[in-house]
Amino acid sequence: MKKVLFALVIVMFAAGSAFAHSPLCDCFDNGDGTVTCEGGFSDGSSASGVKMHVKDSAGKVLIEGKMNEDSEYTFNKPSVDYMVQFDAGEGHSVEVNGKDIVE
Amino acid sequence: MKRTVMTIFSMLAVIAMSVPAFAHFQMVYTPEIALDKGQAVDLSLVFTHPFEAGHTMDMGTPEEFYVLAQRGEEAKSKKTDLKEYLKPVTWTSLTNSGQAYEAKLPKKITRSMGDYTFVLKPAPYYEGEEDIYIQQVTKMVMNVGGLPGNWNTPAGLPCEIVPLDKPYANWVGGVFRGVVLSNGKPVPNAELEIEYMNHAPDMKNRKFEKKAAVEAPQDSFVTMGIRTNDRGEFTIGLPKAGWWGVCALGVGPEKTHKGKELSQDAVLWVKAVDMK
Repeated sequence: MKKVLFALVIVMFAAGSAFAHSPLCDCFDNGDGTVTCEGGFSDGSSASGVKMHVKDSAGKVLIEGKMNEDSEYTFNKPSVDYMVQFDAGEGHSVEVNGKDIVE
Repeated sequence: MKRTVMTIFSMLAVIAMSVPAFAHFQMVYTPEIALDKGQAVDLSLVFTHPFEAGHTMDMGTPEEFYVLAQRGEEAKSKKTDLKEYLKPVTWTSLTNSGQAYEAKLPKKITRSMGDYTFVLKPAPYYEGEEDIYIQQVTKMVMNVGGLPGNWNTPAGLPCEIVPLDKPYANWVGGVFRGVVLSNGKPVPNAELEIEYMNHAPDMKNRKFEKKAAVEAPQDSFVTMGIRTNDRGEFTIGLPKAGWWGVCALGVGPEKTHKGKELSQDAVLWVKAVDMK
């Protein structure tokens, strides 16, 4: 019984937080051949550890990594058209088009 | 006897009329404080009477002017000194003009998502009519991208108003709450003045618009006087879109300046937006 309750509480907690905040990500061209993305959530929680994917226009993953402890991720700017995906799980993904990434 | 009564009456009338003129407010103004994207930000620092856009006082060189930027509520706050961007300008009110400052901040300062708490510690201003100095330690909080940061964190000022609601995310018709701190401790029964910025600032021409947004039916409505409760908290209503100034009078620990009385006040600006 206790285990079931515990599981229920976990499910409720997870579901609750899923609706209570939205993922946020913005990226900047550092002007030195690298791009830095900054992430977070609308409730102010950290994005540390969130998966980051850099993909080409066909959706092929070029670079993969994770947000660091400061909720930042820096990568070498691809020579082709690209997009960045901030992937915090289902319903919690933000995509940033490389064309919109400026200094 | 009649004459004495008349004299007292006219004296009272003079006092009553002069009260709203004493509601000083240090402004740290920028038109938009809930930004979608980081961008260059222009600020105007004006020491005035915002409801009437009346007498604008000459500001001296500010003692401190900086921003505390924070992306995420658990993240560290980053302090950037902004004094190098200060430029003295002349600001025109409806009745005079006075020295104010403006600061054009490059995008690199306000590029990231998060909260930006601007702090201005102006030079004490000598108010000849009262023979006192006034120093209004002022905070204005801006947000980029909807990612909250330090909006409700004390900035560690000698006196300050700490928001209990985000100062940049308020609908018209809602309320705004805050706590008044002196040396980090709540101030019960603190005297507060509330004023609506009734004449829109025109940053380009460095003046207030002549047109008033609202009309006060009586002097008590120009500067509204309220008190904090026994925990140092207050609540105000936000019945109209635009800027609302909150000033806690004389709550700071410094009580004298150059041998004269100093009123060290804490000011916070709050913006309300129409629900449409």
